[in-house]
Amino acid sequence: MAKKRMTVLQKLLDFSGIHPERLRARWVSSAEAAEFVREITEFVEDIKKIGPNPLRRRKAA
Amino acid sequence: MSAKIKEAVRALLAGGKIKGFLGLKRENGHILPHLFTDPKELDQLSLGDWRRPGEARYPLNQILIQLAIEYPNDTFAVLVRGCDERGLRELFKWQQLREDRVILIGLGCPDELAKACECEKPFPDSLVDGPRGEKAGSQKVAHVNEMDLDTRFQFWKAEFDRCVKCLGCRNVCPMCFCKECTLEEANLIDTGEVPPANPTFHLARALHMVGRCIDCGLCEEACPADIPLRTLYKKVADIVSETFGYKTGFSTEEKSPLNMIEVK
Repeated sequence: MAKKRMTVLQKLLDFSGIHPERLRARWVSSAEAAEFVREITEFVEDIKKIGPNPLRRRKAA
Repeated sequence: MSAKIKEAVRALLAGGKIKGFLGLKRENGHILPHLFTDPKELDQLSLGDWRRPGEARYPLNQILIQLAIEYPNDTFAVLVRGCDERGLRELFKWQQLREDRVILIGLGCPDELAKACECEKPFPDSLVDGPRGEKAGSQKVAHVNEMDLDTRFQFWKAEFDRCVKCLGCRNVCPMCFCKECTLEEANLIDTGEVPPANPTFHLARALHMVGRCIDCGLCEEACPADIPLRTLYKKVADIVSETFGYKTGFSTEEKSPLNMIEVK
């Protein structure tokens, strides 16, 4: 169910002009530290590539 | 055009099959929802045609839910356009109304209305009167799809910034039947702020419309700020159709992909 919602929300974000990759859901157990680190590092790198969040820019202005 | 509908309702009322017919009535120059219980009243029946065909529309299904709560053992007939019929199918599946307590009196929409609505199916299967119109493609969604990401962001930001949080879109919605609403949950949507969190407020509502919105367009009609809500919810319908192959309101059996009652 959560996965279905995520899929829809990602596409909705895209339609609203927000990069869909800003939203990501992954299933990682508390016993999988390495997996968790890898996912988060990857996410941070991807977000940096996408650049600053347009919503944040708006608040500062 | 209302002759066949009047005839059908008259027969139902005379046969004692229904407690009343929920339709529209013309009174003192206005068109209002009305529960017809006496065949004599049918002279005042209106199909909502005013300056334009179908201009006066009301969320009759929403009123029907209230009637069903008050009179759970009675059967009512209701005037439905294509969108209303789709709505009833979903409401039956979401268990908000009992299918055996509702009789559909179907009205097909004229081309002009179908085009203005960019309607997927401008006539109900329970057609009593009116045309079986053609499906009209949606240019409004395509127009936004064609923009690049940043232009889309600016477009929706400007639209949502006009929101005065009147909640008219939710209040008029025949598919909004929740007793508690996310939009009024202070922990999720900040209160005391206009416009409400942009775009969170509108996207929260859009996400909740998955498998519910039947594209009647009443939200956009009700919006005092002219936010193109219908374009947003039409996109929701497109996403649901592309992702899950589900077309809201078209099936009487298959449930919405986000229907929590579904057990797999």
